[in-house]
Amino acid sequence: MEAHGVHYAIEVIHWVALGVMALVYVLRLLWLFKFKNFRDRQAPGENGDTTNWPALYSLGNVVMPWAMESTRKRPFFYVTFVIFHLGVVAGIFLAFISSLNRPFLEEPVVASIFMIILAAAFLVSVGRILRRLLRPVMRLISTPDDYFCLSLLTVWFGSGVLAEAHISGHLHSEWYLTIYLALTSFFLLYVPFSKISHYLYYPFTRFWIGQTLGHRGSMPASRG
Amino acid sequence: MSTEVESYKIQKMVELLAPKLTRQVVGSLVGCVHCGMCHETCHYVMTHPDDPKMTPSYKADQLRKLFKRHYDWTGRVFPGWVGAKPPTRDVDLDELKDIAFGTCTNCRRCTFNCPMGVDTATLNRIMRGLLTQVGVMPEGVRVVSKDTWELGNQMGVLKEDYVETLEWLSEELVMELDDERATIPIDKVGANIVYTINPREVKYDPRTISEAALIFYAAAEDWTMPSWGWDQTNFGLFSGDDAMGAASYRHLQEKNAELGSQRLVISECGHGYRSTRCEGPNWSKTDQDFVMESSVMTMLRYIKEGRIVVDKTKNSDPVTFHDSCNNARSCGFYEEPRELLKLVCTDFQEMYPNRTENYCCTGGGGAMSMSEYTPRRLVSAKVKADQIAETGAKVVVTSCHNCVDGLGDLIRHYKLDCQVKQLVHLVANALVLEECAISKIPKEKPVPEPVPEPVQEPVVIPVEIPADRVKIADALSGRRILIVEDEEDTRIFLATLLQDAGAVTLEAVDGDEAIATARAEKPDLITLDLSMPGKDGVEAFIEIRNDPDIRDIPVCIVTGHPEFRKVIYDRPVRPPEGYMDKPVIEEDLVANLRRILETSRAEGS
Repeated sequence: MEAHGVHYAIEVIHWVALGVMALVYVLRLLWLFKFKNFRDRQAPGENGDTTNWPALYSLGNVVMPWAMESTRKRPFFYVTFVIFHLGVVAGIFLAFISSLNRPFLEEPVVASIFMIILAAAFLVSVGRILRRLLRPVMRLISTPDDYFCLSLLTVWFGSGVLAEAHISGHLHSEWYLTIYLALTSFFLLYVPFSKISHYLYYPFTRFWIGQTLGHRGSMPASRG
Repeated sequence: MSTEVESYKIQKMVELLAPKLTRQVVGSLVGCVHCGMCHETCHYVMTHPDDPKMTPSYKADQLRKLFKRHYDWTGRVFPGWVGAKPPTRDVDLDELKDIAFGTCTNCRRCTFNCPMGVDTATLNRIMRGLLTQVGVMPEGVRVVSKDTWELGNQMGVLKEDYVETLEWLSEELVMELDDERATIPIDKVGANIVYTINPREVKYDPRTISEAALIFYAAAEDWTMPSWGWDQTNFGLFSGDDAMGAASYRHLQEKNAELGSQRLVISECGHGYRSTRCEGPNWSKTDQDFVMESSVMTMLRYIKEGRIVVDKTKNSDPVTFHDSCNNARSCGFYEEPRELLKLVCTDFQEMYPNRTENYCCTGGGGAMSMSEYTPRRLVSAKVKADQIAETGAKVVVTSCHNCVDGLGDLIRHYKLDCQVKQLVHLVANALVLEECAISKIPKEKPVPEPVPEPVQEPVVIPVEIPADRVKIADALSGRRILIVEDEEDTRIFLATLLQDAGAVTLEAVDGDEAIATARAEKPDLITLDLSMPGKDGVEAFIEIRNDPDIRDIPVCIVTGHPEFRKVIYDRPVRPPEGYMDKPVIEEDLVANLRRILETSRAEGS
């Protein structure tokens, strides 16, 4: 089959995969919300805040590395976290924009930005695999799903660099993009069943912990 | 699909997990990405760098596996792939016990450092609760839980001892101040404040009660201490047993309502404050309907209102402050003690890190009652010891009795040149009594001592034995009853009671001895305690029921663990013929045993 034909089929599949992912996400959220809600029955703490501010603060801690000791004391780890997640965002954009507005990705500046981010994310991802393999504590807590997700993302980032290189005219074979879209489709289908779906839960877990501890007065966290 | 569960206890744990699964708990169970960010925030990890099992996410994964395997469909379908392989055998529960109770003080430091907002400490507490509910717990936890259920306080203080101690302290204070107003009122209805304490204060540190009484006196406060429902600590927080947490909280709630007080004051205790002020209403599923505050807030208010006057130069040693994890991280209570401290001492040195980032004293989470983990605990205490040493303080102040013990232990172990005090000591020491509110209220004229009446010879009044007691006297005549009970006092009490009722008693102190005695002596009935060292009552009961020689002997469970009722009755064997909660009422026990014996005889014939 011609690469163009396969490419077209994959494009269709990856939109279908997106739909499946959305559906499973909805089911996951319905599942989560079928559990009863916890309500802190105590009167607010002396320093408690009953508004949504502590919950929103908690939610925003992803962009506040100073808010937690674990990120404050490990700035390099935090930077790699940011690069890794920017890579994910860039990768998803690349996949969909390549179908919707390919000329945008052909712009040299845009292409360079995408390639740099994806290449950096690829390197971080390789580092994360090594960390998970080499540190006893990481080996102990890792599941096959953890390794597989990380490996999948690493390959996906690498393939994204090549796909963008193709789009921007540095590589000629259409297969680079086709393989990338195929990987994206698999990624979209696998994500809701894997630990990568953590970002679906993130807003809720952070909001709830902020709400509970804020009501009691210990969120935002304080240090002297 | 088969869940491959072999152990009955694990099946029960799976069932018991269901009601604990709130949206927030499930979020913490599914939200962990195993990033390892919590790793270096835990004092156990920091002091056991070669043991990866100390990492918080590994500890939480123990519950996560159970949850995923039975409640999350990805774990049901692909258990190996997503790490959903929980233990399946009873022997594995010992390891779970060791992890949940022996490698975590539930200090919640990891929770505050998780980028995902996973509440690992809460997950560990849930695991503790599940283990406790199926009878797997450290012996110390078992004993304390037993005392809490049976006597209403976690140190087994008898009501008489408690009241006598208060009366003695009261007399001493009155004598010392030469003022009748310095009395410690007990069960005074309508007082502004009901003051609740940690049983440790009655048992080991009554000075803190005197000092609190002195401060209330100085502030001319209308206060009282309850004769029941006075233990503000709540072992349910540590054992994970929400039912116990609710029961202990209700004791306070009900007594406070009975006394008609406006405010319940909690003496300086981190877990007491958290479990009473914060968790009690949740466990008991009642909204908080009265004011509760820490005595730190009360003392601070007195100073601000001018009801007590203090001279900070009386406390001139350099002091530092240790934040109790429960106060700081779980209740947002960390500025008030500092504010108070700065008012009552001259040289305050901050400890780093502090407030919500402080390290645990290592005595939290019930660790002080689990002696089997003491060596590990003291190793983990190195972090705290270094923190204290760095301040150069001679006094470590804390608002928590547990921390007093934990810090005291590590100060001795690491030979630090300092001592532990609570704010109540410093405030009491700094009081300027002649300027306090009490000095502005004139003493009432002393009431003349009543003239003692002449001593008369005691009159002996014949005691009439009630008819039902006469009936009880020979209710068990000639019956041979095996009493299985590990606590000597209780065993003697039961033996005496049953002998008085005409029974011939045999005794056993644990499950193995019970089975051996039952096989050798074939008693008419067995009274069986459940929580005993060695083979416990639950295991012994199953073995008795499965032994064709003794399976027909009727068994009456006599236990301080009402929560085990379901465990016993759900066993795949014939249920016990009777089940009685401790403390037993004499007449009820005899009547119940008589009923069991008569019913069994009728069935046998």
